[in-house]
Amino acid sequence: MSFALAACIARAELRGGLRGFWVFLACLALGVAAIAGVGMVRSAIEAGLTDQGAVLLGGDAQVEFTYRFATPEERAFLDQIATKTSEIVDFRSMVVADDVHVLTQVKAVDDNYPLLGSVQLEEGDLASALTGVVPGAVMDGILADQIGLKLGDRFKLGAQEFTLQGRILREPDSATGGFALAPRTIVKTKALAQSGLLEPGTLFDSSYRLLLPPNVDLAALQSTAEAKFRDSGLRWSDRRKAAPGVARFVDRIGAFLILVGLAGLAVGGVGVAAAVRSYLEAKIATIATLRTLGAKGGLIFQTYLIQIAVLVAFGVSLGLILGIVVPLALAKPIQSALPFPAQIALYPRPIIEAAFYGVTSAFLFALWPLARSEKVRAAALYRGGLSGGWPRARYALAMLVLAALLVGGAVLLSGTVNLALGTAGGVIAALVVLALAAWGLIRLARSSARLKALRGKVALRAALASIGAPRAETMQVVLALGLGLTVLAAVGQIDSNLRAAISRDLPTRAPAFFFVDIQPDQINGFRAKLAANPAVTKVDSAPMLRGIITQINGQDARKVAGEHWVLAGDRGVTYAAAQPANTKLTAGQWWPNNYQGPPQISFAAEEAEELGLKLGDQLTINILGRDIIASITSLRIVDFSNAGMGFVLTLDPAAVAGAPHTDIATVYVDPGADPGAEAAILREIATAYPNITAISVKAAIGRVTEALTAIAQATTIAAMATLLTGFVVLIGAAASGERARVYEAAVLKVLGASRTRILLSFALRAALMGAAAGIVAIIAGGIAGWAVMRFVMDSPYAFEPASALTIVLGGIGATLLASLIFVLRPLASRPAQVLRSQE
Amino acid sequence: MTETILALQDAWLTLAGNAGRIDILKGITLSVARGESLGLVGPSGSGKSSLLMLMGGLERVTKGRVSALGQDITGLDEDGLAKFRRGRMGVVFQSFHLIPTMTALENVALPMEIAGVKDAFARAKDELDAVGLGARMQHYPAQLSGGEQQRVALARAAAPRPAILLADEPTGNLDSVNGAAIMELIFGLRDRHGATLVLVTHAPELAARCSRVVRLVDGRVDGTPA
Ligand SMILES: Nc1ncnc2c1ncn2[C@@H]1O[C@H](COP(=O)(O)OP(=O)(O)O)[C@@H](O)[C@H]1O
Ligand SMILES: [Mg+2]
Repeated sequence: MSFALAACIARAELRGGLRGFWVFLACLALGVAAIAGVGMVRSAIEAGLTDQGAVLLGGDAQVEFTYRFATPEERAFLDQIATKTSEIVDFRSMVVADDVHVLTQVKAVDDNYPLLGSVQLEEGDLASALTGVVPGAVMDGILADQIGLKLGDRFKLGAQEFTLQGRILREPDSATGGFALAPRTIVKTKALAQSGLLEPGTLFDSSYRLLLPPNVDLAALQSTAEAKFRDSGLRWSDRRKAAPGVARFVDRIGAFLILVGLAGLAVGGVGVAAAVRSYLEAKIATIATLRTLGAKGGLIFQTYLIQIAVLVAFGVSLGLILGIVVPLALAKPIQSALPFPAQIALYPRPIIEAAFYGVTSAFLFALWPLARSEKVRAAALYRGGLSGGWPRARYALAMLVLAALLVGGAVLLSGTVNLALGTAGGVIAALVVLALAAWGLIRLARSSARLKALRGKVALRAALASIGAPRAETMQVVLALGLGLTVLAAVGQIDSNLRAAISRDLPTRAPAFFFVDIQPDQINGFRAKLAANPAVTKVDSAPMLRGIITQINGQDARKVAGEHWVLAGDRGVTYAAAQPANTKLTAGQWWPNNYQGPPQISFAAEEAEELGLKLGDQLTINILGRDIIASITSLRIVDFSNAGMGFVLTLDPAAVAGAPHTDIATVYVDPGADPGAEAAILREIATAYPNITAISVKAAIGRVTEALTAIAQATTIAAMATLLTGFVVLIGAAASGERARVYEAAVLKVLGASRTRILLSFALRAALMGAAAGIVAIIAGGIAGWAVMRFVMDSPYAFEPASALTIVLGGIGATLLASLIFVLRPLASRPAQVLRSQE
Repeated sequence: MTETILALQDAWLTLAGNAGRIDILKGITLSVARGESLGLVGPSGSGKSSLLMLMGGLERVTKGRVSALGQDITGLDEDGLAKFRRGRMGVVFQSFHLIPTMTALENVALPMEIAGVKDAFARAKDELDAVGLGARMQHYPAQLSGGEQQRVALARAAAPRPAILLADEPTGNLDSVNGAAIMELIFGLRDRHGATLVLVTHAPELAARCSRVVRLVDGRVDGTPA
């Protein structure tokens, strides 16, 4: 009965319209829209990956080998299970044209390629582009432009000459390859016969794409293949999970962006709380009247709870519509900007997720001021003002439950427990610190407004007085702006730290080049040439094979040690007769010279500890299809951080005698050398040994930085949504303070103050609040940045002042802007009008 | 009656209301002599407040001239008027119009600070003592009763020792006891400092205490031809 009455009163109250609620609605809608939008795009990509699985993979299933082709026996098996097969070879090489040498990722294909989908060229089709007396080739337009190759121009891969006959727009099967260090060139495998690039021991991957009969049981087929060629280094994948790497990446980034969106919702929550508070303040007369008519606190609470519920429903719906409509409307540009297929459509899951976040956070933030409505007494009719203080226990409990629901939901829905808990903890901590800072600012403003030193400085004193005034919007502004800036500052700190880690720290210690595919008979000549070059300071080289650790002490390695990067796929393996100089052993002993006994391994110490390996453990390593069982006889320190040469596994020479292999070399160049020196080294080696591939570390860093930039951009966009919400709250605060400013300006004018002085006072007021929020944001953002670098990225952190300063200045600028929009009217109005309307 | 301190010449005030432009003041010609106390009476809506605003430079004439302290202030802009008021004019309103974010003391010191007076706070203290609020100096307006707030407003208006004190129904929002106290203070101030007083009031007994009374009717001085 009481509920019906509450609903009835609520309906009457809402009839007045939603005019006063635009901040409430905008905050909620923005936050919900950001989360729904990110979720929609994520679902779209996931659907795209599933649906396009076979095309992405290049077939229903794929079998891969490292450094070798399938054996005739393996090939026979594949031909038998498949209706059609295609063989692909993937490796890095140098495109040589005239004097230019540029790294490329070569994909050598057979006549059946591609089994599914088609390679889109700027003009023409792949089949005819790859033919010709001088064989044809197609390459990434960026690569062609970089070298200065036009269609019809000649270039070399190894010893083989090709004609450029097409520029690649899109490969159907490009998303599965993971991160490529260099742009693509596609040629026919047949055409490489005389190139010298696929000699035994060179680094290449072969893959066999299979079209399978319809209704084939993929899982069963995988088990059969893996059982039959167990431990031969065969890697199976199929359309069920065509691009696990991409899927995982998208899932991670999506979860991360949604968490950033949640921070935005928290910013919006500040606006929601402020809006509810000022609404209730305007309703005090109504509430007090209801009280005099005998209404109980519960009835009043219900009345306003119903109204808030209606508003929440409205705001969340608005956000959902926005979050659905925008991705749908921008489907084309989003799809073309993404490197993976995305099926943009209506997905229920992200919508439900966004609605859940929106509803719980809105009620969480509305409950605090709402709980106070109960406390309004009939006497408030004459005294006015919502009483402060803590809400009653049951409302505090309800808020705790809502907060737990929100955090729990974030943990469950994002699937990243630590990141979600970290974000939640960070947001809560930031809110608490900001609330303390705002409280401190209010106190400080109030007491310093009375400082003798400030006497006579009217503008500053008036600004401080209005910051420190009871019921000023200081708290609201500092919380919303501060949280928005904190998110942005954290993102900025992480971004600039990652960049610094890559582009500043690395190159000073890193080699200039990696050279791979050095044939054993070339290594001496290669070293001699570099030794003669004065710009070269150091050359490290080592034989390199690749192997997969399949078993530990006779048990499946992954079952024993769990998922670890050392066990994921093949690893570089080297051998050495004697312990290399500057190698430190932490345990065990190096094998004796001319050791011919059972195979021995020297294992990287840190990784051994992570895998739980100790001296004496036996590892089964598959190298080029052959199993080698070796025991760990020493552990050594390997530093992977400076991009030098580092092998987890070093074997004794006899263990791998006879296995075809090539050498890998790192070349260090004097940082003070002539800028052309690196290019000269590249030219010299490429001319003498066309089969050797050079990977420029600078260029590789450039590619990594590019990838990083894309991620940073996505994150910045999400963070900007947070800041935009913060700005809405600011505008709301400034708007709700406009009446007070108008009044203040009028009185100051009566007392003889000029407009400049009044403007100065208002500007100082905004700048002080902005600065307070900005400073807290720097500190909180710095801490968040440190935490992410330290615990997520496992990388050192250094405070980046430039990024931080931008944030503070941005904060001050934003508050100035938001508040200055709302001082134009106060400044322009004549005091008589203002003061008369208050009579 | 020697020196004219305030003079209006055929002053018109036209404002844009909801129903188009309305003439609120229709050709007021009036002068106030230094030291005089002028009572402005008339029915509600007759334009008393508007006239007071014109005198204080808080509103500008649509037509006609206004001069104060021997200076023509008709053409001054907003800032010029504000500057002119500094230290010269004190205004007391019916609804006090204190700055809610400042304490009583700060409110009283404010006009003197704006005028660049060195010992603004010391003088503000004295002034608050004079209106009997020495104990409430650190209180915010919301913590004061209506009568106390009006006393602060009065102290604020009087502290810079203005030549002209304008008061618009200063007791209108107060009960009779508080109202009487305020009026005593106003007339006391006037007597002590010799300021010229223009007092808008509804109360005949207050008007009677003024040296001259002018009656407004429908935007005109009563007795002048329409
Ligand atoms: N801003 C305004 N716009 C239009 N009319 C106004 C405005 N302010 C006051 N008025 C009108 O001007 C007339 C005079 O008002 P006022 O000077 O306040 O009279 P009084 O003080 O004698 O009661 C009234 O009719 C009032 O409605
Ligand atoms: Mg009036």
